[in-house]
Amino acid sequence: MEIKVGKQRNVRLIAVFAVILPLFPAACALYIYSRTYAKSLRLGLEITPAEFSSIMSRAVPGLLGMSAAAILIALVSLSFQTITQSRILTPSMIGFDSLFIATQTVLVFAFSTTGGLFESPYINYFISAGVMLACSMVMYRFILQSSGNNVIYLLMFGLVLSGVLENGSRYLQLLMSNNDYYRVQAATNVTVNNMNTSLVFLALPALLIISVLILYRHRTYNVMSLGAEQSQSLGVFYAKELNLNLIFIALGMSLATALIGSLTFLGLLAVNVAREILKTHRHFPLFIGAAVLSALALILGQSAVELLQGAIPVTAIINLVGCSYMFYLILRENRI
Amino acid sequence: MIEIKNVSQSYGRKEAKKTLSDINLTIRENKITALVGANGAGKSTLLGVLSNITPILSGTVTLGGRDVRKIKTQDVAKKIAFLKQSQQMSIRITVGDLVEFGRFPHCRGRLGQEDKRKVDESLEYMNLPDLRSRYLDELSGGQRQRAFIAMILAQDTPYIFLDEPLNNLDIKYSVEMMKIIQNLVTERNKTIVLVLHDINFAAAYANHIVAMKNGQIVREGCVKDVIKKEVLNTVFDHDFHIAECGGKNVCLYFDQVQN
Ligand SMILES: Nc1ncnc2c1ncn2[C@@H]1O[C@H](COP(=O)(O)OP(=O)(O)OP(=O)(O)O)[C@@H](O)[C@H]1O
Ligand SMILES: [Mg+2]
Repeated sequence: MEIKVGKQRNVRLIAVFAVILPLFPAACALYIYSRTYAKSLRLGLEITPAEFSSIMSRAVPGLLGMSAAAILIALVSLSFQTITQSRILTPSMIGFDSLFIATQTVLVFAFSTTGGLFESPYINYFISAGVMLACSMVMYRFILQSSGNNVIYLLMFGLVLSGVLENGSRYLQLLMSNNDYYRVQAATNVTVNNMNTSLVFLALPALLIISVLILYRHRTYNVMSLGAEQSQSLGVFYAKELNLNLIFIALGMSLATALIGSLTFLGLLAVNVAREILKTHRHFPLFIGAAVLSALALILGQSAVELLQGAIPVTAIINLVGCSYMFYLILRENRI
Repeated sequence: MIEIKNVSQSYGRKEAKKTLSDINLTIRENKITALVGANGAGKSTLLGVLSNITPILSGTVTLGGRDVRKIKTQDVAKKIAFLKQSQQMSIRITVGDLVEFGRFPHCRGRLGQEDKRKVDESLEYMNLPDLRSRYLDELSGGQRQRAFIAMILAQDTPYIFLDEPLNNLDIKYSVEMMKIIQNLVTERNKTIVLVLHDINFAAAYANHIVAMKNGQIVREGCVKDVIKKEVLNTVFDHDFHIAECGGKNVCLYFDQVQN
């Protein structure tokens, strides 16, 4: 009986991965097609090999950047949901994106005269990641722990924080010189199309390290989903795991936001669709499934945008779908 | 051996009212100790402190002579198993999965032969093999409670702390559960501390009773010492009537019973 059920579960996992894994190269191919032959067909022009390789030299880092950002968002969203015991909250919903924008604005504002130093994308990234880390630690300590893991408080705090930070950033941007203003815009209005490609080379090793560290702990996450107390009594040093996860989340979210900008609902969408189709509580398949689905959604979405000649940005589509899905989840689960 | 000395605890800020004040307690080995007291007396908090889950303000908790805070969480979990008062799950898992979690301190989630054997044995012990592949949210409250106890058994620790293990159990299963707990002590040399709400279960099955009120231990001792009218009256702020039945004390606490 047990063996049969176990087998059925594994069959399901294998079947799902057999479908979604091959979709990934297919999506990449579609994206490349959308940027090359689809365009040339539409314009009625031949593509020369030189042109093709010049497009590829932009499309490949684009693909890498999109995949890295999407995978990071999926991994940290799932780990965030496990530590907050919520199926609906994700880091972007509690103001991580606005925090990024505010950090960038303050950096440009404060150092506009010295300049130079903070324009290096790497230094800039580490400063933003540091600020996000500090904020997430504070938020977690003071909001979640003092309210007994009440995610409603966290959500409300995030909402207020986003409002304050966005308006504060806007105010600072008004005070800036035009020059500085454009620099802030360039740093914060990143989208998939004008991706910060110099960051891609930072993103890949960071992605590798973060995903190895997260996947390595998949069994610990399984236990942590029983809650703080129960997992502590099963031998998980919860406080340590919590801090470690806050670091992963801050690093991952700041990198993803720096790469492709704010994508509030991608994590929610990927993680919950993965849960829905994998029907398991085990984190190993969930992490992989969510990561693949997240990358698929972003790349397929972007290909569709290219094919439709960029009528609407992919972030808008994903946020629209993700937002509707969130409503559905709240209504169905009747909790946050 | 588990011993706590001068332990104080408080949930909010330091100045806030103490949930536990100056508690001293030695857990008796190979015995059943029952914690009793009114709602909010601090029983769950004390159990959490004993298992190094609830942080304390001052004092020490020692396990085998060493401060528990200095012992690795994983090693504490090999000695002490703790069941929370209420188990809300944010995930959907089967009884089998849950019981396998009990092996986590020993195998970090990588179940070997020995771990699988322990899981099977615990399911057997709690009479659950038929429900093994059922999801927890599809079980009755009592079946779920038994599944959690099976997880605790799979953890295979010398100390077992249960916060209201009779929650959701009907009379037959409550008695059965207490017999299982007794067997764990006699057959497997476990040391058990449990919070019981029904004072009569404590009177009938515990070897040692600790009565708490407002974060303090009001009285501790054997059944005869604690199940007394004047003790219970102060502990629960309620008028008790103690009857004798087959050589054991039985408490009656209904208003209708006149002394
Ligand atoms: N997480 C918490 N945060 C703040 N206060 C708490 C918390 N848990 C318990 N308390 C408070 O501490 C006191 C003792 O609670 P505790 O849960 O230990 O009581 P108890 O004896 O187990 O009660 P019950 O019989 O109702 O389970 C109560 O006043 C309670 O309100
Ligand atoms: Mg309690």
